Amino acid sequence: MICDECGRPAAIRFVEMVDGEMRLMRLCDECASARGIGLSLTPLAGPLVSILMGFLEEVGAEEPAELQGPVCLGCGLSYKDFRRTGKLGCADCYTSFEDELKPLIRRIHGSTRHTGGIPSEASEDVESIREARHLKLELEKAVRHEEYERAAELRDRIRSLESTPRKEDDDGDV
Amino acid sequence: MGTFEQMLATPPSWLDASGPTSNVVLSTRVRLARNLRGVAFPARADRAGLERVRDRILAAASAGNYLAGALVLIMDESSQSQRQILVERHLTGRGFAEDGHGRAVVIGDRELVSVVINEEDHLRLASLRSGLQPMDAWRLVDRIDAELEQNLHYAYSSDWGYLTSCPTNVGTGMRVSVLIHLVGLVRRDRIAQVLGSISKLGLSVRGFYGEKSTALGGFFQISNQMTLGQSEDDIAYTVERVAGQLVTLELEARSELAEKGGRKVEDEVHRAFGILTSARIISSDETMALCSSLRFGISEGFIDSVDLATVNRLLVSTQPGHLKCFDARDPGPEQRDRMRADLIRRELASGSGA
Repeated sequence: MICDECGRPAAIRFVEMVDGEMRLMRLCDECASARGIGLSLTPLAGPLVSILMGFLEEVGAEEPAELQGPVCLGCGLSYKDFRRTGKLGCADCYTSFEDELKPLIRRIHGSTRHTGGIPSEASEDVESIREARHLKLELEKAVRHEEYERAAELRDRIRSLESTPRKEDDDGDV
Repeated sequence: MGTFEQMLATPPSWLDASGPTSNVVLSTRVRLARNLRGVAFPARADRAGLERVRDRILAAASAGNYLAGALVLIMDESSQSQRQILVERHLTGRGFAEDGHGRAVVIGDRELVSVVINEEDHLRLASLRSGLQPMDAWRLVDRIDAELEQNLHYAYSSDWGYLTSCPTNVGTGMRVSVLIHLVGLVRRDRIAQVLGSISKLGLSVRGFYGEKSTALGGFFQISNQMTLGQSEDDIAYTVERVAGQLVTLELEARSELAEKGGRKVEDEVHRAFGILTSARIISSDETMALCSSLRFGISEGFIDSVDLATVNRLLVSTQPGHLKCFDARDPGPEQRDRMRADLIRRELASGSGA
């Protein structure tokens, strides 16, 4: 993580609102204190404390639909509204705003891939998807290293994982 | 089913100073954010929708082993003082207590586990343990999560994990926070440096009562910032390791303080004890600062007539909402400062380490 101001290693990141736009900043200790958000004097006053303070601020009014960017098909929330409140409206927002959310989520978490727990009802399904994805990375590596026997073995395992019939989602959509 | 009054009469187990490194770490909390599949998140749901979600979650909670006998509080039917008490006991956030329809809280025995319904997410499961035990707290909350899941379908994607209203919680939905007492590092003037390095390790720092509260008396909350890209075990382990390092640094700072300060530091601790056991009027802030000294004094062996659990309990029971509940009329700040002083004298007289 590099400081947005001076290019040295950054120590903190925070979200701020500028003219109603949400902006993620990475700053080193010095640039952070220069902006009055350093740790040095009041460890708890700075935005480091609440990455979302800026998120929560109410800024700007409703704009005409054509200016609001993508809109979620599930709940009707516009991306613009999300930028204003910092809160998504429903699970479908993650699909509707995928292109916009991906870079944001990467900046917040340093990752866009869940590697934690799985709901038990989805376990089999998701586990095989994840396993296949993991094996594909292995496969690329094997090909790069010209380990063709291993690559063939991996390819077969991926095929068998992907040909397993998947459960249908019975719970309906939003 | 327990009542609110019973809950109030029983000190929460996370204050009992029985957990590992309790002289520095008061408590560990692990919470998981979850939403139901196919239903809009609370901020975009109407009243009827919120109430349906609430009732589904309450039904799932009462069907399991862990929460079957738990206290259920429907916020629409709760008084202002009950809400304030929930905040002071770290069961809900301040925003939750203020408004919103269809909200409820399920509180397990001795407040070890709780479920907050329809705050920012449909449900937030939490486990609160004494001392530094992120792994144990995580395992407990995971078991309850698995139990609830038998009756609830969560919003989940294979890429992004558990889907939450705010993208800062997506993935595991897991926040581990440790309530830690760093009075030694504050006094040795090393706190800014230490907390600065913590932010580099992906952890964030807040005060005793969350975002906006200040770090009175050297009490801080340390928690993981990122919830996506790491497993739950890794998140719990990271917080445990960093907090463990903080404990070591804090204990070093305390010994230095006790050694270099000598008689002067000992005097300070005893004066704090003297004020707490004698004062007739005392503010909330002064209580916090003096209890901080007292905790330090107990930990360094200057004071042995009171135990840590008693002091921990005072940190919560002297808060305004808790004092109000002794008197049906709202006593007002001045009267409250008197009630606080009375309570502290009473508790310290009976709280001698048996």
